[in-house]
Amino acid sequence: MRFSHLRTVVLLLLTGTAGSAGAGSAGAETPGQNNAITDVPGITVGHYTGVDSGTTVVRAAPPTGQGVAGGVTQRGGSPGTRETDLMRPDNMVETMNAIVLSGGSMYGLAAASGVMSCLEAAGIGFPVGGPNVVPIVPTAVSFDRATCNAPPASRPDFTSGLQACLAASGGPVAQGNVGAGTGAVSGGVKGGIGTASVVLPNGIIVGALVSLNSEGTAYNDDGDLTAAAFELDNEFSALTKAGGNRKRVPPSLPGGALRSGTNAVVATNVQLTKSQATKIAEMADDGIARAVSPAHTPGDSDTLFVLGTARIAIGTLGDANAVVTQIGTAGANAVSRAIVHALIAARSTPCQESYCDTFPSACRNRR
Amino acid sequence: MRLDTALGGLLASVALAAPALAQTLPQTPGPKNAITDVPGIEVGHYTATNGAGGMTGTTAIIARGGATAGVTQRGGAPGTRLTDLLKSEKAVGTAHAVVLSGGSAYGLAAADGVTTCLASQGIGTPVANGAIVPIVPSAILFDPGRCAPFNFRPDASFGTNACMAANNGPVAMGNIGAGAGARSGGIKGGIGTASAVLPNGVVVGAIVAVNSSGSTFNATTGQFFAGYIASNPDLAVALAPSPAPAESNELLRATTIAVVATNARLTKAQANKVAQMADDGLARALRIAHGTGDGDTVFALATGTVTANPNLNQIGGAAADALSRAIIRAIVAAKGIHVGTCNVNSYCELFPQNCSQ
Repeated sequence: MRFSHLRTVVLLLLTGTAGSAGAGSAGAETPGQNNAITDVPGITVGHYTGVDSGTTVVRAAPPTGQGVAGGVTQRGGSPGTRETDLMRPDNMVETMNAIVLSGGSMYGLAAASGVMSCLEAAGIGFPVGGPNVVPIVPTAVSFDRATCNAPPASRPDFTSGLQACLAASGGPVAQGNVGAGTGAVSGGVKGGIGTASVVLPNGIIVGALVSLNSEGTAYNDDGDLTAAAFELDNEFSALTKAGGNRKRVPPSLPGGALRSGTNAVVATNVQLTKSQATKIAEMADDGIARAVSPAHTPGDSDTLFVLGTARIAIGTLGDANAVVTQIGTAGANAVSRAIVHALIAARSTPCQESYCDTFPSACRNRR
Repeated sequence: MRLDTALGGLLASVALAAPALAQTLPQTPGPKNAITDVPGIEVGHYTATNGAGGMTGTTAIIARGGATAGVTQRGGAPGTRLTDLLKSEKAVGTAHAVVLSGGSAYGLAAADGVTTCLASQGIGTPVANGAIVPIVPSAILFDPGRCAPFNFRPDASFGTNACMAANNGPVAMGNIGAGAGARSGGIKGGIGTASAVLPNGVVVGAIVAVNSSGSTFNATTGQFFAGYIASNPDLAVALAPSPAPAESNELLRATTIAVVATNARLTKAQANKVAQMADDGLARALRIAHGTGDGDTVFALATGTVTANPNLNQIGGAAADALSRAIIRAIVAAKGIHVGTCNVNSYCELFPQNCSQ
């Protein structure tokens, strides 16, 4: 089952909303080379994976100058964030250098300081006179339940951020139980890191990276992944029908403040203003809503960042608002797809069974 | 007429519910004239000096028993932590500390030290697996590179030390903690604090690290813009001509960050409202305030030991006035630095006739 009918509908919808900015025809959208956020030029990703928790860094390099425009939306009820005030369009600094996603609840915010240190050593950051820079590193953390030990055996700290930053590279991105997804849970199964990308006919590239750690489930009452409907180019070939054994479908997690949260980064090669990046973040956040139910609960940290690496001037693509709509739509779909990849890639741990082990029939084609 | 009467009755009942006592000046300070006059609030400073005039540091305002918290963030260049969580609609309403630090965004690391310090004392919000998570919002100001290498800045250990030093006694002001390296409109800034005793056992306090692009006083007379709000113990302002202070070069590198606290019992939404009102105290004391290079952020904490229905206007208004006074007290308490080539004047060096000490 490849959901091909639904996929066509989605693509038609995509084309329909693209307006003058969308010159392509249905089917012309394909995942990028690695089907990863690193398909966006300027984006590199680094993981630090501890025993049962970890940190993921998404670094953004502009073609010139320091940093790229960014935006954020923060709709979960239990956020743990740094520098999100700075990202508001009415505030001065317009250049972000990296986004940090981390486990470890509020303790994990310390990883951002390690990333700042790594970037400062490379001379990357907001210039504040002479050679001095202040790296702009917005961060979101969440409480990762699949840390089987209490207290967790590994809590992300300064060093975790430093190492994740130093490890950042382009190319394929490891998924599943890595980085910020190491101890992640999604509903009743193991969560993790997922990524996806799409290349639009007009040259826009949009990528997403998700740390899936949701209170709600990404599967329906039959155990099928809701967001598999957004498949591009047979990317979910590992996936089939779960088999509809309702007795085995684990429910959503019990609610509770500070217990979970799906944090994400969406990146594009288009040059954005902070306002445009913020709008794209709001639209891309719908990708979480479509893949996970319930989403944005009081106990979820759900925070989504957007980065525009400025390889294409938005004016060359047509009406700016139409382009923003196109990127926001593609971003939402990429987020939904990344969530499916996270669940396919996640592996069981001693205290949390994976999706594929919970629904072995769904993953029987997995290599 | 009927409508008028009904409206009049409504207004009268509102007035009864909220007697207009809040704006009475001068305020009556508590015994310490400090935010620690608010039951449940402790303050700890940690200050580093490099021997060449460079100073920076961290100030931790700790509510060991938890406090309902709100925030307003109106400066254009903020560096903040956990402010999203303080929005009224988010699931957690209790903070255990607020950390103010120098060091620009690097200084946010100090909050990590306060977090682990509190956790080691068993203070935090219980979550799953028996874990506790201390809720420690933070804001920073820009002071790096002033008479010091750019990397002379707070780290996590500053937060740990400030947390360990926290107590509910008198609060040192001036060149200390988060205000150690602060400047204000071309002169030395610093830490200031003030408190006010309101009717019915309610106490309001403020603590501020003044590091503003704008100035706090008339350059010719030295008169504080918020001098009319000051209480007698705060200072005695006289009119006298004096040399004008140096032009501010801090336009893009500033930030005034503050905490106001009360022992009233507030909801989180009310704490956010009190923070918004208190922020006006910053506006009255500073010209300009909330500029593009200012990270101006004001937190509100309510320790809730007075359980009576709170008079929000009274508390918010008093918090604004206490914050204005704390800003004046910071500037009066700040000491000039004159070490080798490191020279920054204090207010009291410029206007000695206005300073009693």
